[in-house]
Amino acid sequence: MSEKVLDVSGLDVHYRRRGGRLHALRSASLSVAAGETVGVIGETGSGKSTLARTVLGLVRPTAGRITIAGQEVTGFSGRQWKALRRQGIVQYVFQDPLRSLDPDLTVASSLVEPLLIQGIRAADARTRALAVLDRVGLDPELLDRLPGELSGGQRQRIVVARALITDPRLVILDEPVSALDSANRVRALEFLRQLRLGGTALVFISHDLGSVAGIADRIAVLYQGEVVEDRPARDVVVNPSHEYSRLLVRSAPTLASAARHRAALNGKAVTTV
Amino acid sequence: MLRRVLGLGAGRVALGVLLTVVLLAIFGPLVAPQDPLATSTDLLAAPSAHHWLGTDYLGRDVLSRLLAGSRLSVLGAVEVVAMALVVGAVPGVLSVYLGRAFEWVTLRLVDTLIALPFLVFAVAVTALLGNGIPQAMFVVGLLVSPLFYRVARAATLAVARSPYVEAAVIAGASVAWIVRKHVWGKVLPPIAVALAQTTGVGFVVVASLTFLGIGVRPPAPTWGGVLAADLGFLSYQPYAPLAPIVLIMATVWACNLLADALRDASGVAGRALVLRRPRFSGGSRVKEA
Repeated sequence: MSEKVLDVSGLDVHYRRRGGRLHALRSASLSVAAGETVGVIGETGSGKSTLARTVLGLVRPTAGRITIAGQEVTGFSGRQWKALRRQGIVQYVFQDPLRSLDPDLTVASSLVEPLLIQGIRAADARTRALAVLDRVGLDPELLDRLPGELSGGQRQRIVVARALITDPRLVILDEPVSALDSANRVRALEFLRQLRLGGTALVFISHDLGSVAGIADRIAVLYQGEVVEDRPARDVVVNPSHEYSRLLVRSAPTLASAARHRAALNGKAVTTV
Repeated sequence: MLRRVLGLGAGRVALGVLLTVVLLAIFGPLVAPQDPLATSTDLLAAPSAHHWLGTDYLGRDVLSRLLAGSRLSVLGAVEVVAMALVVGAVPGVLSVYLGRAFEWVTLRLVDTLIALPFLVFAVAVTALLGNGIPQAMFVVGLLVSPLFYRVARAATLAVARSPYVEAAVIAGASVAWIVRKHVWGKVLPPIAVALAQTTGVGFVVVASLTFLGIGVRPPAPTWGGVLAADLGFLSYQPYAPLAPIVLIMATVWACNLLADALRDASGVAGRALVLRRPRFSGGSRVKEA
């Protein structure tokens, strides 16, 4: 856990809005070591997607430094970004697995796209697509299907497979399980846990502490654009230090608390009857 | 796409009619039974075995004139459409990618073009550039290009913000790659719908201009010209305008039908388009023609 794949420090991002500026991130810092799994938790508007988009070069930071695999990228030009992206070091898995696949392209075309952009020959790219499809546990038969013909869980795996095909050192997953039903969610988390064993660093972005707590080594909590907590996952869950993280832990729904609620309701029903 | 259009009844009828019109344009002048310019002493004759559709006020065979005139009418419509595609659709797609300055300038140009009255402008330019169908159609093409610009731009914008395009950006794709791989396929169906509709408009405009005597020198036969000649002698031959009218109507109707079929075949992509008919300032007058 020595080398850092990603190091973000003092990151400020402002969005220009009518009648002023919006602080999306306030001196946010985050670092991810090789092979580490980090959860980034925050509510809607807390800046977690902005953080990811800034790391990917889609949003320009106002201040701060970003280092990717030892390379400082903060002042990169468009051309430099393109060159960096073509190395496929950092990959991103979008929140919505249906909309992040071109509906007119077959699974195979979507999968090999990052490789073709790198200039790899189509035949070699297809071989690697087959390999990566096997890795995410999908049938090679799916290669010639369109995204609309796949189930939600299958699409999710395809999107992850596309991220893995360039052999990235860091994969950022934006709400990887929130679009799935609960059975698929468990399956997806299990599969992502295995992925972790492959040595790729993962960053999970989620609003739901529960879906990340079981898989992350470390959890960073974002609140109103600030990183209010960045500690080992166990510590955050067991002993949250910030007021907001305490709220998160309390509000996580569990079957145990649901049982308590039901008991309370039943009690009330009995008394009123 | 073509297969899906052919699967629809409306698509088959539309393509059938349009194919006939195109064949008329190619072979019409060759199969015309008589010289379309030859006059005879048979003035305003009723339809007969010799003159299937009768003769006009100079004794010219109407059928021959209509057949000979179809080439000019079709060529005019095709020119309008080609012009609108090149001047409208291509900059429409590029406006999303070539930076703010290009976007701003093209948008203002399009606004300007929309404000110009259609037929009047065409008349003015033919007065300036010389009387000819190519000149007139050049202008008309230019004036319908805003529709194509808007359609192409709207479709491109919808795709440009989609996660799969961002995924390509993150993979290091160039603009050319993104347009070729992701944008073009999504922009083509709505453009095809607009195209079919504009072809109909093109026919009407050619007919209107030739009806007004603009774009062709008098003896040369056109659909609109035949119609204009017939209208002058309505009291002698009240049925005469029917033939050119049916020809013009059938063609325009087939174009609109094809637009509908294309829209249905391409799913939701072009659905909003049919409500947005092209602006046409000379509309009421043209309908009379």
